[in-house]
Amino acid sequence: MATKQPSDKSHFILPDLGEGVHEAELIKWRVEVGDTVQEHQTLAEMETDKALVEVPSPWTGVIASLNGNEGDIINVGSILVNYSVGENATKNDAPPDTGCVVGAVDDNISIPTSFSRTEATTNKCGDKAIATPAVRRIAKEKSVDINTVTPTGRGGRVTASDVESHLSPAKKQNIPAVPIVEPELEATPLATRVSVPQEGVMERIPFRGIRKKIAEALTHSLKTAAHFQVVDEADVTKLEQRRNALSELVGKKFSLLPFIMTAVVRGLKEHPILNSTVDDFVEEILVHNIINLGCAVDTDQGLMVAVLKNADDLSLVQLSDETARLAKECRDRTIKREELSGGTFTISNVGSYGGMFTTPIINYPEVAILGVGRAKEQVLTKDGAFYAGKVLPLSLSCDHRVVDGAAGAKFLRTVIELLENPEELMPTI
Amino acid sequence: MPVKTVFETKIQHVSILDELGNFDEALGGGLIPDEDVVAMYKHILVCRRFDEIAFKLQRSGRMGTYPENRGQEVPSLAAAYVLQKKDWMVTCYRENAGLFWRGLPMEKILLHWMGDERGNHIDECNVTPLAIAIGSQMLHATGLGWASKYQKNGAIACTFFGDGATSEGDFHEAANFAANLNLPVVFVCQNNGWAISTPTKVECSAPTVAQRGLAYGMECVQVDGNDLFAMVRVVKDAVENARKNNRPTFIEALTYRLGDHTTADDARRYRDADELAMWEKRDPVIRLRNYLEKRDLWSQEQEDGQVALAETTVAAVVKIAEEIDAPTTNDIFDSMYEGITPELQKQRQTLRTSSLGQDPSQVPAKSQEGAVQ
Repeated sequence: MATKQPSDKSHFILPDLGEGVHEAELIKWRVEVGDTVQEHQTLAEMETDKALVEVPSPWTGVIASLNGNEGDIINVGSILVNYSVGENATKNDAPPDTGCVVGAVDDNISIPTSFSRTEATTNKCGDKAIATPAVRRIAKEKSVDINTVTPTGRGGRVTASDVESHLSPAKKQNIPAVPIVEPELEATPLATRVSVPQEGVMERIPFRGIRKKIAEALTHSLKTAAHFQVVDEADVTKLEQRRNALSELVGKKFSLLPFIMTAVVRGLKEHPILNSTVDDFVEEILVHNIINLGCAVDTDQGLMVAVLKNADDLSLVQLSDETARLAKECRDRTIKREELSGGTFTISNVGSYGGMFTTPIINYPEVAILGVGRAKEQVLTKDGAFYAGKVLPLSLSCDHRVVDGAAGAKFLRTVIELLENPEELMPTI
Repeated sequence: MPVKTVFETKIQHVSILDELGNFDEALGGGLIPDEDVVAMYKHILVCRRFDEIAFKLQRSGRMGTYPENRGQEVPSLAAAYVLQKKDWMVTCYRENAGLFWRGLPMEKILLHWMGDERGNHIDECNVTPLAIAIGSQMLHATGLGWASKYQKNGAIACTFFGDGATSEGDFHEAANFAANLNLPVVFVCQNNGWAISTPTKVECSAPTVAQRGLAYGMECVQVDGNDLFAMVRVVKDAVENARKNNRPTFIEALTYRLGDHTTADDARRYRDADELAMWEKRDPVIRLRNYLEKRDLWSQEQEDGQVALAETTVAAVVKIAEEIDAPTTNDIFDSMYEGITPELQKQRQTLRTSSLGQDPSQVPAKSQEGAVQ
């Protein structure tokens, strides 16, 4: 779609270069600072996921700054080039103050390329703010005229934090000049930046890479899926005996995980709705007839979910070996991309580190995840008598949009019954 | 039991001015007056500039998606040249040259791609708005041909579509109705060899696309679509067949888009550089210019003058399109039917109020109806 460019021609916002393109790699600048460019003259060569394209200047002007280095990924909507406008051109590269900006923002600071403030102020102008009904309600409750709030959200939306910041503008005076120019701060909303204490910081870790991916994926899941939990315990006393026997028999140590996986696979076959994914785009629930079991792996970079494809075709030994291989490859970073996606159900085995019950977040677009706690020895009762046994805490999170409480509980019951009756779970050994 | 042939056919290919400059006097002599050839050549130069600038407008964020027309100017231009004012031209989206020749203001095409419905409000000439959904326009053409027959107004409908569109059901329905009902429709297939990135041979196993029309019992012909003279010749015959006999004709015009499918495409990813180079030599602009210069009908000065004129013309058109006030969201609803249905009214209301988090009752009535005309 067409992008609204500033009427004073002070800067050029990178438009969508194709259809639905969100970013592009800067391949080569074709102009330099100080150059006079003609309308339609090529500014840069950029590559989107679809094409290598030449980006032309929308007007004639003098280049004041080029924002980005060759090889950088530039977000659509961020300022690609600043132009000199009028006499004070170089001093004021920011979009014209429309009277909407609240608080002191130094005009001389250079705005990082992908920083969303520019987009926000450009889009906002006119007199009607863009905001969700929830934010409007907050503003109303706090008696704030939403049209006077500086938006920092996507597409110029006013966020709840913006309303907060508007109420206590004094905080804005404390914006330290230095962090603003740090590229690490790209895309961080202004309001968040303001409230972070800057003293006593031991280390600044860029919120990027796997960490960022995890954050995006989990936040999206929590925002989208209607999470609920069912927690229960399995008496794995007999299973533990069987596990030890099997370990001796095969001559290698098995963890509980492959047994749990086997039980889960059987449970999913009995309750296929838990083995589905949601396509929000076409609004469909996809019930799968293959079971691709995701397995959460802790690495020093953060959590990764490796996927055992067609887990229902694998034997216990294969499940054990495959899990070990995938975990190793995750930690070595040698794991193939396709082994990190395509899951239909995920198991998060936090028990190996401790912990009892958890409230695991669904690995979206799957609809359920099983959190496995640490098996503990406990005094149990049976037929009125005490005995020492081992108990495995299990926490199942389901997406209530797809899986109802009864369905979730029934599935968990099936898994537990299998774990409690190893003869049924593993009749052949 | 004897086997006998019950049907045999052949598809003819028409070429008058080839890329080597050979001109068939028997077919082409006196076909188009010299001044008209010059006028059409000048027109193509303006269209080229328009195309180049429209592409750049998208790349600099001033316009939405745009499909380049470069290389495919001749088929629609030839048809527009032959058609009468009362006739209908029913296009898809690579027929700017013909549309402009008929009198469609150039800025309307820009407005269309800027997402402005006012670009589709056409009362200057008998052309329909650009059809982006592949194939829908062929049915409209058959409908217009049918209406014309019913109203006995002598108008014919000439429709344009790509090779890929002939693999859509719409084509077969439109062709079947036109042939069976004896309708004055001219079907022009701009076969540019590619349905986006699908080569024609992948979606059409027949040696010619033209023979697809044959199945419905129409006159079919294949023509060099980059040859203005051959195009005018076959369109003239087709128009006469429609006008006099109420019979449809299928024309397969062999041409090539020298650019990408649209600004969202990169043809280098699927097309051979050699293929492109071969078609660049067949560029209708080069062919026409050589023809005109050989006959002393065109000079370098005229070329320079026309190129400069094209630049200023297109710049003025861009200015007009960009200076028009932004459209309102109402247009989405108001351009659907002649009047507004209760459902659309409700949707229009919802868009304007709820999606902005506003209570409909709080929106002043005046701003609710502030549609741009």
